[in-house]
Amino acid sequence: MRPPLLRSPDGVIAGVCAGLAAHLGVKRSWVRIGMGVLTLASGAGVLLYAWLWIFVPTAADRAAESGRQTGPAAFMHGVGAGAGAAGGVPAGAGSRATGQTARVLGDPSPAPAAGAFDAEGWRERTLRAGRREVLFGTALLLAAAVLVLQLLGVQVDWGFFVPIAVVATGAALAWSQLDEVRRARVMNRAGAERAGGTLRLLAGIVLVVTGVLVALSSSGSWTLTMATLVAVLAVLAGVGLVLAPWGLKFWRDLEAERAARVRETERAEIAAHLHDSVLQTLALIQNRADSETDVLRLARAQERELRQWLFADPTRDPGSLAERLKVAAGEVEDLYGHPVSVVAVGDAHLGSAEDALAQAAREAMLNAARHAGVAVSVYLEAGPDTVEVFVRDRGEGFDQSAVPADRAGIRESIHSRMLRHGGSSEIRSDRDGTEVRLRLPRTEANAAPTEGERQR
Amino acid sequence: MEQETLAADGPVAGTVSVVIVDDHGIFRSGLRAALGPVISVLGEAATVEEAEAVIGATAPDVVLLDVHLPGGLGGGGAEVIHRCTRQGTTARFLALSVSDSAEDVVAVIRAGARGYVTKTISGPEITDAVQRIASGDAVFSPRLAGFVLDAFGTASVAVDDELDRLSARELEVMRLIARGYSYKETAKELFISVKTIETHVSAVLRKLQLSSRHELTRWATERRLL
Repeated sequence: MRPPLLRSPDGVIAGVCAGLAAHLGVKRSWVRIGMGVLTLASGAGVLLYAWLWIFVPTAADRAAESGRQTGPAAFMHGVGAGAGAAGGVPAGAGSRATGQTARVLGDPSPAPAAGAFDAEGWRERTLRAGRREVLFGTALLLAAAVLVLQLLGVQVDWGFFVPIAVVATGAALAWSQLDEVRRARVMNRAGAERAGGTLRLLAGIVLVVTGVLVALSSSGSWTLTMATLVAVLAVLAGVGLVLAPWGLKFWRDLEAERAARVRETERAEIAAHLHDSVLQTLALIQNRADSETDVLRLARAQERELRQWLFADPTRDPGSLAERLKVAAGEVEDLYGHPVSVVAVGDAHLGSAEDALAQAAREAMLNAARHAGVAVSVYLEAGPDTVEVFVRDRGEGFDQSAVPADRAGIRESIHSRMLRHGGSSEIRSDRDGTEVRLRLPRTEANAAPTEGERQR
Repeated sequence: MEQETLAADGPVAGTVSVVIVDDHGIFRSGLRAALGPVISVLGEAATVEEAEAVIGATAPDVVLLDVHLPGGLGGGGAEVIHRCTRQGTTARFLALSVSDSAEDVVAVIRAGARGYVTKTISGPEITDAVQRIASGDAVFSPRLAGFVLDAFGTASVAVDDELDRLSARELEVMRLIARGYSYKETAKELFISVKTIETHVSAVLRKLQLSSRHELTRWATERRLL
């Protein structure tokens, strides 16, 4: 399947050629050469380029569009109509806006709540896109008018029009850069520091300067042009020298402000988290101060939550066996109020056998918390050959032969479950406590019977 | 039950002097109250500098040291150990922390602490741990044993790279401690004496402190410790 036709973000001018190359599956340089050749054919290449620039969206546009489709349809309708009105005169822009409206209206998916946030940025962008299309349309209309005038026999001074066109193109390039930066802010996308951006800005400036020079010296000689160029450069350098300290200070202020804002955001996030969790829990603890178990339970749960927030290793797979055991331990703690601590050495991916192991371990923790009524230690060791889990408590212990036959907890949830997945389990209990040992061989082979088991 | 067990297999009773170093006043007074009558608290400190001064002045048997402390060069508990060791202190250090993170554990153990327990430890347990440390033993919580197993790997190998590997016996001891066994229970399980367990644990502590083992370095680097 072909990649969709999108303007590439790392193109030279507007990413049209790069995007086209990606879409057609040919080298970028070929597309560029093709454009160049077409340009020789009375400027068709330039027209084609401009046309594609206007109508081909960037990847970011597309992403915003797909995000927007989840938004409330009524809201979208309003914005779409607004864009249509703004796009008014040029036929292209108008039809595009209408197309959007139609598509949004035609979107059959029910509208979930997430739309409003993105829609704000989108409205702005749509209005701006409309403005850009108006500009292009106006330029094209002007060009057409000039051509018509010439056809009607009016003498058109090309020496005047060409420099103006060059200046306009340069300005458009430079401004499109600004547009890009603003869009980056809207889209939360950090793409403004690219070398291509600087290049485009420079190209824009050079074009503008050249255009102005040509316009000024269109009647004069070459030496005059050179002198003008030198003068212009000198003036620019002087202005730059004068403005540099001010610009630098401005830049530093901006950086400082940005850093401060980042810090402020971070602080606000921490404050919000503490407020939502710790302060609430402390309030609850004060309310329940007379119930020791409640206080203990609340404190443990809060501690666990805070630990998770502070020390959680983001590189760690949340779907791993160790994490799964920690979650189970937390649940058991909440249920019975006895601390359940998990120590994990190594880790394993959560296949169906490991899942069974985790469930058996959870059952063992539940039993320990329910019957022993003391702290529970859970130890996971995932070695190269076996995965082992030990659940230990220092409760009273129990006589396994005295457990009535109709109590299926240990037999079904622990023994049989482990056996079904090619593992084994063992329970040792005396008056010093109980330990449940679960072992699962770590081979590819035990995945197969597991699958068979599931199908049966 | 556990507390009884731990207290019973502790060393011969005798007053042990300690200094409590923690920047949290509430915790210091709570800990002082929780310590048994066989422990005498010589002083308290809240910063790295205070700790250095108090430990130097009182020469306690054991320092109960919080991992995170203000002052100094920002090195916290590890910095206190380094400074006191440079002054030639005879005190032994037991690290206390609310944090479970490997960073804290490894830093303070490598600096020379002889044990690491979390602050949720009960009064009798901490009393027992202090007595153990005072008699020259190491105190390993299940979590610390887990860190050791994680760092050294769970496979035992030959004796020639002795510092870099745990012996089969040491591995067994570490595993049992990680499973929540006390020293006494571990000894019973392995049919050896508590004294032998203590020897093994001390040997593991030494390896943890001295090993330049590649894996340990990598393990620490992965967790951004170095």
